[in-house]
Amino acid sequence: MSDILKGNFKPQKPVEANQEEDLNAQFEREALKRLGGSIAFVSKKKFLYGAEQDRQDTHSDAS
Amino acid sequence: MPPDPLLNPSGQAPKGTLGRRIASALEGITREKVTETGFANAVVNGPLIAAGAGILALEDTLLMEGEDALVIAAGPSLHRFDTARIIKESGFKGVIVATESAMAWCLRHDILPHLVVTLDPHPHRIVRWFGDPELTEEALVHDDYFARQDMDPKFWEDQLRFNRELLGLINKFGPDIRIAVASSASPAVVGRIRESGMAAYWWNPMYDDYDLADGLTVRIHALNGLPCVNAGGNVGSACWVFAHAVLRKRRVGLVGMDFSYYSDTPYRQTQYYKEILALVGPDRLDEVFVRMQNPHLGKEFYTDPAYLWYRDAFGEMAQQAECETYNCTGGGILFGPGIRWTALPEFLSLCKATA
Repeated sequence: MSDILKGNFKPQKPVEANQEEDLNAQFEREALKRLGGSIAFVSKKKFLYGAEQDRQDTHSDAS
Repeated sequence: MPPDPLLNPSGQAPKGTLGRRIASALEGITREKVTETGFANAVVNGPLIAAGAGILALEDTLLMEGEDALVIAAGPSLHRFDTARIIKESGFKGVIVATESAMAWCLRHDILPHLVVTLDPHPHRIVRWFGDPELTEEALVHDDYFARQDMDPKFWEDQLRFNRELLGLINKFGPDIRIAVASSASPAVVGRIRESGMAAYWWNPMYDDYDLADGLTVRIHALNGLPCVNAGGNVGSACWVFAHAVLRKRRVGLVGMDFSYYSDTPYRQTQYYKEILALVGPDRLDEVFVRMQNPHLGKEFYTDPAYLWYRDAFGEMAQQAECETYNCTGGGILFGPGIRWTALPEFLSLCKATA
């Protein structure tokens, strides 16, 4: 695969990949995940989703 | 090495600055952290969910009677006051909703919660609150979280012995306990719930905006049909959401909801100490821990990014909720609009007078 992809086009501008910065950002993201909460919180949304639909389904099943 | 965007904005920062910046990023970071495991656990739990009851079945129980609820979380104030005696002597007739982390404390003090809530998908730690049948000396060497945490001092003792006692305690009372268990709960936790004979009521945690057609919340709901609950980032807040949004209580009191540490608590006894130390090193800890003055007590507490995020999220939700929220914790940083700072005996008297 790498033989197919390697060198089969020429970029107009030279590309310099900042691998060190990418690794730092990745390290930070992974480290910060360890400080994260127990579960998600969704800001500015209602407390329940899908409950009304489930109630309707339950009543439909019962009728 | 190039400067790091979050950790090294301009060298050393004022106290608490970094902690506040991390807290403001935790909504997205936590979602990244819990989604994969939460979904994987939901798939494993699928057959049990399909054969079991969802949280809407709680509407057919006696838990819907009355207007009052008391949430018991496992913050350090629970142990600094004579909380159990005050609750028991009050003759409180409302519904008691407890975090799984406060369940052992409740049972040790002869308080049987009407509903316990669990949600964190962590594969090993959460099961410890139920008694872990797989716990070994070797596991304790690798993870000293329970020896350091400030949520239940009993866990500081001989941990294997206490774990054996807890297994027996939970097995004894399991058949009398209803538990609202999130689809994200680990197989270890679900195993203990089943083994101890608890009555499980399933739900999904909300992962993202349910108005996103292909969002995570819409997908998890499509996976198992369970209602999704906006859990506020942690199990204590989830208990409060259950109390007013599911059990429809008009008045909800809170104990053990500190979201912070007493100023005499060493950093090493805080929830995320090792992770924070690994992230910033010993010289920058004061940048991460945030100090706050509680105006009701005239006393300073300190908090970490996760607790600060929980506190901010709770503050937002409290203003949106239709219930009256009384924080009877007696310590900590949960105060502000929508939250009535109240002494526990006062709240319990109020419930008794108007029951």
